[in-house]
Amino acid sequence: MLDELEAFYRAKLPELRRVATAIAGDRELGCEAVQEAFASAVRRRRSFRGDGTLEAWVWRIVVNAARDARRTARPVRLDPPAANGHAPVLPLDLLTERQRELVFLRYYADLDYAAIAAALGITTGTVGATLNAARRTLRAALEEVS
Amino acid sequence: MSELQVLDELVPLHDERPDWDDVLRRARRGGPRTRILSAVAVAVCVFGVAPALAVVLLRGGPARLPSGADRSHVAVVMEPETGRVLLEAAPWKGHDGFCYVALSERAGCVPRKRRGTVLLYPPLFGWSFDPGVRSGTVTVRAGKRVPLRVVHFGGRIDVTLFVLRGRLPVAYRSVTLRNEDGTAIVIFRQR
Repeated sequence: MLDELEAFYRAKLPELRRVATAIAGDRELGCEAVQEAFASAVRRRRSFRGDGTLEAWVWRIVVNAARDARRTARPVRLDPPAANGHAPVLPLDLLTERQRELVFLRYYADLDYAAIAAALGITTGTVGATLNAARRTLRAALEEVS
Repeated sequence: MSELQVLDELVPLHDERPDWDDVLRRARRGGPRTRILSAVAVAVCVFGVAPALAVVLLRGGPARLPSGADRSHVAVVMEPETGRVLLEAAPWKGHDGFCYVALSERAGCVPRKRRGTVLLYPPLFGWSFDPGVRSGTVTVRAGKRVPLRVVHFGGRIDVTLFVLRGRLPVAYRSVTLRNEDGTAIVIFRQR
């Protein structure tokens, strides 16, 4: 079990940190959240009952750690880098917390609907509906600003 | 620009260095809330400027330090009477520099320079690579001078950190760092 956790950590570290950074709103907090999440997973590994995949179980811990990091930290905001003097606008504020997390898990971690559902403890139908709503919101907002 | 392109730029993909040993250390240490500053500790008075200030050297360190910090060499400055942690510092793994946490509010890692002093605000905190810095004061708008905690961290950290324990009711007028003789060697003035 410890070997599997380590293998998952080494294989997916960039995606794990990217998602945690996006949720926490700060790269340092995100990296810290991933380290703490895996430490927690190592400590609690005997409580993993095998109902779902190990990856889904760990993703859930990482998402929770990143949420905690954001809530306990001072407010920070990820600003998109400026391109050609114009900062692209992505109105993530228009999304709900759940929508944002789904978007990050889908695009940054490349998880499919089933994996996202398992990680967040929701149904695949909810994942699909929530992601569609989030995409509609983002596209509409991007059309408005472009 | 599509939402995918914007998302890509929002959190760029980095080439990450895994640190599994750090995960295992944290797992052995217990959760952040159960962590006890039990370790080995040597109280040291610092420069006689802050006799009530203890410097505790310990292995393993608070989770708030950036992940790049070398947690096997963490120094913590705390107020013995309250247990409040004022400063934490550690060498920066893989870099010539140090990592810090100030008043549990501000954290980062800084590359070493030959000389130079940086002041951040708020909270009022900074570091100096000038080996002569021994004490400091902040002068508030009304003219009152408030002493800073000034701590030199030796070894691989090798930097002097300074911090104001409390919060200023109003903006400061100036911050002065002095050498052993009391001569001002660095002055920051608020415009």
